[in-house]
Amino acid sequence: MIKLENLTKCFNEVTAVNSISFEIKKGEIFGLLGENGAGKTTTLRMLATMLKPTSGSVTMTGYDAIAQPEKVRTHIGILFGGDSGLYDRLTCEENIAYFGELNDMDSKSIKDRIGILSKAFGMEEYLKRRAGKLSKGMKQKVAFARSIIHDPDIMLFDEPTSGLDVSAIRDVHEFIISCKKEGKTIIFSSHTMSEVEKLCDRIGIIHRGRLIDTGTIDEFKAKYNSQSLEDIFIELVGDKNEF
Amino acid sequence: MNFKHIWIVFKKEVKDMIRDRKTIMTSILVPMILIPLLNTLVGGSVENLQKDINENVTIALAEGSNTSDIREIVKDQIIKDYPNISLVDTANPIRALNDSEVRVVLDFEKNYSDKYIEGKPFAIELIYDKSQAKSEGSLYIIIDAIQEFNKKIVHTRLEALGVNPEILEPVVIKEKSIASEEKANGSMIAMFLPLIIVILMSSGGIAAATDLVAGEKERNTLEPLLTTKPGRSSLLIGKYLTVTLFSFITVIATMSGIIVGYLMNPASLSMGTGSELSGFSIPPAALLLVIIISITLGMTFSGIQIALSTYAKSFKEAQTYLSFLMIAVMIPGYATMFMQPNEINPYMFLIPVLNTISAYKLVLGYNYNYVYLAMALVSSLIYVIATLGIAVALFRKEKILFRT
Repeated sequence: MIKLENLTKCFNEVTAVNSISFEIKKGEIFGLLGENGAGKTTTLRMLATMLKPTSGSVTMTGYDAIAQPEKVRTHIGILFGGDSGLYDRLTCEENIAYFGELNDMDSKSIKDRIGILSKAFGMEEYLKRRAGKLSKGMKQKVAFARSIIHDPDIMLFDEPTSGLDVSAIRDVHEFIISCKKEGKTIIFSSHTMSEVEKLCDRIGIIHRGRLIDTGTIDEFKAKYNSQSLEDIFIELVGDKNEF
Repeated sequence: MNFKHIWIVFKKEVKDMIRDRKTIMTSILVPMILIPLLNTLVGGSVENLQKDINENVTIALAEGSNTSDIREIVKDQIIKDYPNISLVDTANPIRALNDSEVRVVLDFEKNYSDKYIEGKPFAIELIYDKSQAKSEGSLYIIIDAIQEFNKKIVHTRLEALGVNPEILEPVVIKEKSIASEEKANGSMIAMFLPLIIVILMSSGGIAAATDLVAGEKERNTLEPLLTTKPGRSSLLIGKYLTVTLFSFITVIATMSGIIVGYLMNPASLSMGTGSELSGFSIPPAALLLVIIISITLGMTFSGIQIALSTYAKSFKEAQTYLSFLMIAVMIPGYATMFMQPNEINPYMFLIPVLNTISAYKLVLGYNYNYVYLAMALVSSLIYVIATLGIAVALFRKEKILFRT
């Protein structure tokens, strides 16, 4: 479903992502685990076709992300952490519908899909209200709905729980699980061990732009002879932090 | 580039902007109300000042000149035919001048009477306050009255000598303007209209341009947008058209305000300077050319504004760049304000901003040089394409778009 081969991204002298390669199967949740500045966001931005790789290749649902970025974007949904990125002066419905229109959905499909999503996320009450007037939790649900309005095959989550409170984090986790149940392929970046352990089928540890290792949680635990993912992570990246 | 995507972005951005009170205030309400209001207020006060200067000229005689003989000369000879001038009797004329009770104080030379009888010139010193507009304005009315008094004396003396006073005026000057009333009025409009249009065009889209790219970056709405299907060119052109639309709306709002202000009080248009602009009319061909030229100018500015907003890291940075742009535009606007249509060099029809100003001056001067107008139009179209090209290129450049 997703295949990265020697993917590299340089910003002037700095190599943000250094020749990383991995594959993700359909319906899998892949966790990209790394510290701040490890290269997670740059990798996801390349997958979302926002950034062009310096070298290497990315294939998503059979399309080349470099040669066919528009085709790739039709099949992906993305959710960023922190601010929900909604248009405050548009209503929740208009925010969601805008992304549906941009993804070439017809108005009937958009209406039907908004109906389903608003029920699923409990947004019916505030669907017609302007996004700027909503609470953070409400905004987050609108952002969820917006990211999957076009029913994408692949979901990219870039540190989606960063800066959220406990109940909002739980909502994000439930959303990710619901996406998996719908058969979506998911890449999830995080620096929180517990949520990676809770949600991901497989993980990749990224550090200073390099992919250190990939595998299932159990494979990691067996390979590094530890029951704590945190200890394994520290063992893998800790000594590499020394200058 | 996909027209459907451009239309979707355009529709959304227009809706978003219309709901933004700040944009509505700066693009529509302020130009529609404030500018005509300002013109009316300034125009009204200038008009009132001028009226007061002309109609209520108060003069006094200096202490040494306040004699019954001099009062008689002033009243019966100098200001007799000037009902707008009145002689005020005051014990301290200089204080009265300082207190704005009188506008000019006349001080006659001490032995004026002897000189007058002998037919020799005598001096009348006019004491006024240059710091007071009314005093300075009244001075010329008094000078005019004294000159008329001079003429009368000369006529009387020449007639006494049996000489025809016409001998003093061998040449009679007659003025005749070959410009029709319309042309004269067009020429006056050509002075300020290009400047107003250029300033409005450069400022009208600022709020929208700042919000639509730099604002989106700051509010974190740009990243999700970039992950949708449309290519960057379609996204940018949708935004660009919105900025262009708001530039036009500002121009239309301001011009409507000015026209309403003119209909309510014609003096508002000429800022009370007394210039009457009644009876001017712009022919349809000229109007069409003006509209086309305005559109290309608006599109050029929108391209520059959206490019600067793309380059800016933040909302504030974008505002700074765009305010500099407005100042830069004012320079050619003011520099050519008094330039007449026949003084425009052909190269000016090729230079950005100047080409539009020149075309306006030409059309409003009823001078239809289609070669020059075509030069202005073609060069403007090139600038539209160039600025839009730069904006699209910057928007596609990830180093610029994700500049931190």
